[in-house]
Amino acid sequence: MIRPLVIFLAVTKNWIRSRSGLFFSIMFPVLLLIVFGAIFGGGGGGGASTLFVQNLDRNSDGTATQLSSAFVEALNSTKTFAIRDVPVDVDPKVWARDKLGPLGGNIRIVIVSEGFERDVINGTLKVKVGISYNLLNTTYQYFAPDLNETEKMAYEQGLAQMRQYNETLPYSRTSLTLAFDASDQSAAIIKNIVMNVANAFNYGLIGATNVIEFKEESVVSKSYGAVDYYVPGLIAAFIMTNGIIALTSITTEFKRRGIIKRLSITPLTKFDWIIGNILSQTLLSLMLTAIMIVVGWIVFKVQAIPDALSIILIFLGSVMFSGLGMVLGGLVKDVEAASALGNAIAFPMMFLSGTYFPMEFMPSYLQSVARVLPLTYFSEGLRYALIYKYTEGVFTNMAVVSALAVAFIIIGSVATRWKEK
Amino acid sequence: MAKSVAEVKSLLKQYGNLRAVDDISFELLEGEVFAFLGPNGAGKTTTVEILECIRPLTSGSARVFGYDVTKRDDVKEIKKRIGVLPQDFSALDKLSVKENIDLIGGMYQKKLDTIEVIKLLDLEDKAKERFENLSGGLKQRVGVAAALVNDPQLVFLDEPTTGLDPKARREVWHVIENLKKLDKTVFLTTHYMEEAQLLADRIGVINKGKIVAIGSPQDLISQYGGLKTLIIRKGGKKLAQTLQERYGSTTLNHNGDVLMKADDVNEMWRALSTLTTLNLDKEIEIQTPTIEDVFLKVVGGRITEEGELK
Repeated sequence: MIRPLVIFLAVTKNWIRSRSGLFFSIMFPVLLLIVFGAIFGGGGGGGASTLFVQNLDRNSDGTATQLSSAFVEALNSTKTFAIRDVPVDVDPKVWARDKLGPLGGNIRIVIVSEGFERDVINGTLKVKVGISYNLLNTTYQYFAPDLNETEKMAYEQGLAQMRQYNETLPYSRTSLTLAFDASDQSAAIIKNIVMNVANAFNYGLIGATNVIEFKEESVVSKSYGAVDYYVPGLIAAFIMTNGIIALTSITTEFKRRGIIKRLSITPLTKFDWIIGNILSQTLLSLMLTAIMIVVGWIVFKVQAIPDALSIILIFLGSVMFSGLGMVLGGLVKDVEAASALGNAIAFPMMFLSGTYFPMEFMPSYLQSVARVLPLTYFSEGLRYALIYKYTEGVFTNMAVVSALAVAFIIIGSVATRWKEK
Repeated sequence: MAKSVAEVKSLLKQYGNLRAVDDISFELLEGEVFAFLGPNGAGKTTTVEILECIRPLTSGSARVFGYDVTKRDDVKEIKKRIGVLPQDFSALDKLSVKENIDLIGGMYQKKLDTIEVIKLLDLEDKAKERFENLSGGLKQRVGVAAALVNDPQLVFLDEPTTGLDPKARREVWHVIENLKKLDKTVFLTTHYMEEAQLLADRIGVINKGKIVAIGSPQDLISQYGGLKTLIIRKGGKKLAQTLQERYGSTTLNHNGDVLMKADDVNEMWRALSTLTTLNLDKEIEIQTPTIEDVFLKVVGGRITEEGELK
């Protein structure tokens, strides 16, 4: 049992002393975490997204009408947006693009149309009269059998007058225009927020209160940020690249330089060699995880807490991907081919497995592809283990990862050539 | 008669239609340096790697210390007892000399102390140096050290000096001479004539997978090397004629040197006495045939520095 340990010590030392190896295996993932966290985590930045509002409903003196101002204020009170007023006499799209600049991100514009206040008042009055008429009519129908003819006539006359009055009121509705970039992924969310504000406004105007109260509760017990999503994803993704790209290149390089041949002449077995390398990769993975979590915690206050379960999962994930690296390393001859093959497998997997964005964002056929990728199970399991503490979910993913780990080691043992032809 | 350490009988290694090793038989004797001399692609490395149990044979038999290279359990026994410096030896770049030797040593249950091996190869000053910073000659010495770490009885040195500069080559030769003093049996492969002649107790000349000549350098030279040559510098035409008339086999080259081929030394002494009679004061030289002449005779070509046959 001592030989795999000797191999483990030697390849680990060799790796730790290689600056480029250290950079790509540890420093690069950490840098990427910081960049991702800064972009998506809102690490101290503005946060609220810009919403351009062009209020075309003006009084004769050019000031905004009372109701339209109230509506804009209501949007502002959501604290979701940084509202920017667009002058009435410009094309809002051109103006907004001009103000945001070419790299300013997505343009979102709400246009409050002219006559907003008038239409809202008229519309509200008609709705209110309609409601009152219906109420009186229902009451009258209920008591009618007990009334005498004179009383009945008086009621019916009154109701008829009321109906006639309502019909004379203009049937007016006012409209809000929302303009988005076609590529804006957050458009739907913003549309919902604006609609909710408009609905609340509607209810308030007609004097209705909410019967159904909407209670908001997160599915997880704490609130998590984007960085909490990325930390386990990036750890999983880089354990994968370390296994598939780095280990494949290293073993191919060892093969090319005859180091594997030299070792094969000794009593070392192929299996000892594979175990030694996998142990080394596991140590690397644990180091990477520790550093990523510490950096994530210091810089972004990430909530990842490694427990025994996540450490076991990291071990299994390392075994799985170094096993896969051994398979690939056994299949290819030269270092260039190894790195090309490693990259060709690692990069699509990284993007399709929910590492950088949730799989639900992808079309369903790509989600089906993601379901056959090993990284999907590893990163999902790690996310459950490190962040969400969803043990049941960890076990399901762990089962898949373990099965693949065993399979890759077996195939890797067959693929690694320990004898010349 | 020395004991046989390894025995190869009718060994054949075939790749498709190519016979890389074509029905060869030889044995390695305890304590000898045996050199396989031949150009690139002659089958040297293939044969060595079959004996090292890392390349399967097609037919025939190969036994090392009586163990069969094709039997799994025997292979374990062989691997414990052999040391190998493979062709183009390389080690882990970022590890030191000592760490690399420790790595190979770590594969054996019975091994020598690494420091002892380092001393043996005169590598004490370099023990902590990383492998990547060593010169070609030093790297080869580390390779030999790694080959000795399990205290093997038989050491394979596959092209140990290929690609080295003359100084580094001499260093490695010195190391090989020391192995002999340690009573190791050495199987050396080379395409350098001088190396084989200088180091080997016996030489097997191999070409196109076949052993074309085998024996001690002296035996090979006397058998295939041809006649000795007496050279009389600037001897001139007259002397050449005189010697030709008296002893035959004499020619004059374009420098005016007289060349006389002779089978034995006595004949040459007689020719030299003629010089004394003629009272000629000339520079003389006796050229004995070398392994290069043997090779030229048995293979019909020479080997370039790069190992190609021409």
